[in-house]
Amino acid sequence: MTRAARPGRPALRRAQREALMGVLFAAPFALGMLLVVIVPLLGVMGISLTQWSLLDAPRWVGLRNYTRLAADPAFLRSAGVTAAFTAGILALNISAALALATLLNVRLRGIGVFRTIVFSPVVMPVVAWALVWKFLLQPDSLLNTWLSRLGAGEVNLLFTPSTALWTVVVIEVIKSVGLNAVIFLSALQGVPPELHEAARLDGATGWQVFRRIILPLISPTFFLVFIVTLIGALKLFTPVYVLTGGGPADSTTTLIVYMFKQGFQFFEFGYASAVATVLFVIVLALTVAQWSLRRRLVFYEG
Amino acid sequence: MRAERAPRWSWALYALLVLVSLPFLLPLLWLLVSAFKTSAAIFSSPFDVNLAHLSLANVRQVFHDYPFARQYVNSVYIAALVVPLTMLLSALAGYAFARLRFPGRDVVFILTLVAMMVPSELTAVPQFVAFSRLGLTNSHVPVIVTQIFSATGALAVFLMRQHFITLPPELDDAGRVDGLGTLGVFRYIMLPLSRPALATVAIFAVLNSWNDYFNPLIYLSREGLLTLPLALQRFTDPLGGVYWNLTLAAGVLVALPVLLTFLLAQRQFIESLAASGTKG
Repeated sequence: MTRAARPGRPALRRAQREALMGVLFAAPFALGMLLVVIVPLLGVMGISLTQWSLLDAPRWVGLRNYTRLAADPAFLRSAGVTAAFTAGILALNISAALALATLLNVRLRGIGVFRTIVFSPVVMPVVAWALVWKFLLQPDSLLNTWLSRLGAGEVNLLFTPSTALWTVVVIEVIKSVGLNAVIFLSALQGVPPELHEAARLDGATGWQVFRRIILPLISPTFFLVFIVTLIGALKLFTPVYVLTGGGPADSTTTLIVYMFKQGFQFFEFGYASAVATVLFVIVLALTVAQWSLRRRLVFYEG
Repeated sequence: MRAERAPRWSWALYALLVLVSLPFLLPLLWLLVSAFKTSAAIFSSPFDVNLAHLSLANVRQVFHDYPFARQYVNSVYIAALVVPLTMLLSALAGYAFARLRFPGRDVVFILTLVAMMVPSELTAVPQFVAFSRLGLTNSHVPVIVTQIFSATGALAVFLMRQHFITLPPELDDAGRVDGLGTLGVFRYIMLPLSRPALATVAIFAVLNSWNDYFNPLIYLSREGLLTLPLALQRFTDPLGGVYWNLTLAAGVLVALPVLLTFLLAQRQFIESLAASGTKG
């Protein structure tokens, strides 16, 4: 400090002042993030090695929570539910978003109104949206009655174990697909129109143009949307919890709902932390895998 | 796309667009109408949109029989703290990561990327332990703090850093030649150029704060402390049966400010969200 502060070394002094300002600028967020996210993240891993109800002292149990998880049918089931739920949301959301973006990209008078309509559920409060659908799907509700009149037999979409999960998936996708659609739309609008026309003149079909020209050009966006949607689906709690509370018969108990129940309903905080750690490792692994795939799959212009 | 063919096919396209719009629009319209019907009418005449049959009775009852006004104030003041603080902290940190060299910068930035990836639900157990040791359960402190430093907060820092990187460094130098310090450059040159990025951050922060359900669920149990997402589920009889007329009326009151803001500012809204997705 004193050496650098000596006159005659202005470059060093400026570097020091810059470092000081950098620390001061970053510190308010960085300290909060360390305390609220990073330390608790390590804490989760630590607590997962204990048995703890918060009322007594935590008892060290080593990896026992993890061996218990591996043999816990309810946990394995929730892992399966999460896989199906995430795959369902990913497939439906991305294909619907691409289709909507293509449709909303047409040049028509008043197209902006339709863009607004498709996007509007995105800003709708999550709980309000879930409650509207919960009402629409009440036993004996209109939607269920219509479906049974169409010949589907006795229908109770949200309260039947075999249909509840897919019903939640569809409700969630209608809620949030507008965001991905708008992101794809702005990527599509960045594709130079001469490229389509040139390919068309060369005799390419619509599908070929999409597959060979548009998809590679929007691949960075596609990639980003894919990761964000995937991680979003893995951690999705509110709509599931409000719509079904994890039921019926645990058919919609995803890992995050399972973690919540173990921790905040059964006070098994060590066990809940083990679930959280597993979920974190999955998220981390997916992200790392995505990043390494990125170079091979994503086409960057220039 | 193929604008020359549009006129011939436009009727078919409009039909398709209307059909596609239904699942997005109908639940909203249905909510708006049902909220002003009696409990019986919601079930018996769901398609009755005669304005003369609608009344404000539900809204009155929501405010009269429940601490809904209080809960509304809670949500509003929490957002009023979370949103500007997120904007300020993310702009400061984003600028530091983009422009200033300081020891530990890369480590802290990598930790920010990790924080962006960690769903806040996953760290709930140790957070809960810490906040309850501090005697802060059943207060708004944990709700506010977890919102500011959540994955959304980290995303905000990331977006601001990306934004500042795109601004030419010559701007900073020009400011310094004019005698501004780092704080001056930030305040008088960088911030005024950051409106679109800050707007995006504000949008994410508003939605994050207004919708947060998990943390209030864990930390808040007293009725008067609840925020709106939890309050929406409290219109029930003692057996847990839902008073749908009140729930839907309250749902409209919760959705209205966000929906109106969106309708008024939708271009900026959609553009800034789209930009944050395409820049990657």
